[in-house]
Amino acid sequence: MGDYFVLAISCIFVNNILLAQFLGNCPFLGTSKKMETATGMAMAVVFVLVLAGVITWITDTYLLKPLNIEFLRTLSFILIIASLVQFVEMFLKKSMPALYAGLGIFLPLITTNCAVMGVCLININEEYTFMQSVVSSFSYAVGFGLALVLFAGIRERIIIARVPKPLQDTSIGLVTAGMIALSFFAFKGMV
Amino acid sequence: MAQSMVKEFTKGLWAELPPFRLVLGLCPVLAVTKSVENGIGMGIATTFVLVCSNLLVSLLRNIIPAKVRIACFIVIIATFVTVVELVMQAYTYPLFLKLGIFIPLIVVNCIVLGRAEAFASKNSPIFAIADGLGMGIGFTLSLGALGAVRECFGNGTILGNPVFGSDFQPFTFMVEAPGAFVCLGLMLCLMNLIGKK
Amino acid sequence: MREMINMVVVLTLLSVFSGGLLAAVRTGTKDKIEQQVLKFQKAPAIKQILSDVSNDPLQDRFKIMDNDQELTFFVGKHDGKADAITFETSGKGFSGDIGLMVGINIESDEIIGVCVTTHSETPGLGSKAKDDPKFVSQFAGMAIDKNFAIKKNGGEIDVMSGATVTSVGVSLAAQKAQEIYKRLKPEIEKQTAQLAN
Repeated sequence: MGDYFVLAISCIFVNNILLAQFLGNCPFLGTSKKMETATGMAMAVVFVLVLAGVITWITDTYLLKPLNIEFLRTLSFILIIASLVQFVEMFLKKSMPALYAGLGIFLPLITTNCAVMGVCLININEEYTFMQSVVSSFSYAVGFGLALVLFAGIRERIIIARVPKPLQDTSIGLVTAGMIALSFFAFKGMV
Repeated sequence: MAQSMVKEFTKGLWAELPPFRLVLGLCPVLAVTKSVENGIGMGIATTFVLVCSNLLVSLLRNIIPAKVRIACFIVIIATFVTVVELVMQAYTYPLFLKLGIFIPLIVVNCIVLGRAEAFASKNSPIFAIADGLGMGIGFTLSLGALGAVRECFGNGTILGNPVFGSDFQPFTFMVEAPGAFVCLGLMLCLMNLIGKK
Repeated sequence: MREMINMVVVLTLLSVFSGGLLAAVRTGTKDKIEQQVLKFQKAPAIKQILSDVSNDPLQDRFKIMDNDQELTFFVGKHDGKADAITFETSGKGFSGDIGLMVGINIESDEIIGVCVTTHSETPGLGSKAKDDPKFVSQFAGMAIDKNFAIKKNGGEIDVMSGATVTSVGVSLAAQKAQEIYKRLKPEIEKQTAQLAN
């Protein structure tokens, strides 16, 4: 149990997917202008990432490795993620319209979110067990959400501030992200 | 004809320079630009995938049914990414190790899928190649430039050659994660400044 | 209905094409990749540890299954006698795993030397583990039943100043090697003897 806790802390803070591993930066900058969209995106990522982590782990362990076709990993993972996103979208639309209304528009964006694909690959590269993969997928997603929501909070304030013209929008966003990354840097060496 | 081809090629170099103007495909931009070599290596790998997938998508654009086009694009892109992965592993192994997980992640680089969807699926193969090549070279140059700045300050070298003399204290911040964000942000600001005039 | 069939056919054909292409590239690069892994990751460390052997340790290697893990052992010969082996283990460092190649003399049960193969430690601090000869040379000549923990934890290894976590990582990897060696010694001796003949 303790090991899982350490793994979770390391995935959420120390190796934060956005700020230390640089994965999923497109939605990080794209959906962080408003708190509302940021939380929506964060929820959608948690949802899809856990599912994708589980399914890709099973595929890799019981299909690719026994058949010795690991070179097809990239291809199969992206197809799994793409179809998973489609499936989740259809499922939510039919059975949970309320949740769909909240997450709906973010789902298609997740296919090309490299955080999802990245975590699935990390799970395999680090040779995690099934439980470890579940914990790491969930914690990475939480870390993603945490950074995204923090960032959105700051960005909402920046809009009010007077920023020099060439620095506006994405440019100041990146510099801000750098500052948040710097604060997350303090977690390094903790685990 | 020749003129418009040049136009498709050059737009990737400045007007629609991928990571800066379109703000797409940022993850590899931030992650692998610790040195010039890494940045350019990543750029070339991406260019290869971009050109090949653009060509194939454009050739098949009338055959691929509209409903499953994204799935088809993904299969095509993933195939070429895997080719790059294997070839790099076989011939440039040290670089492959340094770039690590970001090679398979070319598959989710928004630029590649974006060009397939927005350009290659609507234009003839020659234009698609010109577009892919332009975008790819623009991407490579941007990665190289960012890599140069970060390597120069963060490590005191460019392409492994010291530039500051022996008593230079490396500004390690630049090669770590936060430096990547700040550096890219400031370069974007610089581009906006130049673009204004 | 026609549309359905069309979609299925196109997707199937595309997958067949992609599978075929990849399988071909895979077969073409397989041996090359294996060589590259040996050459770049293991060879420098092995050469450093087994600098005075009369054979090529990269050629004289064998594999042992340890639980679920496959370990590769490289054998070095002195004066025609196969008495040295090296293998790789890993320990947790500041950021990610540190790979450590450990050389052991199987006749005297002494460490010949250790060498860091892969790490992603902070440049200038933890990365010293690879460049600083003083730290890793502590292990050379130690008997295999000594305590390889750092001094603070009751062992015999001095830490590198400013890089405690990395030092612990290396010491952990060495302790792991110690365990593996003790556990697999009979098997190692048998395989080494076979190779020598």
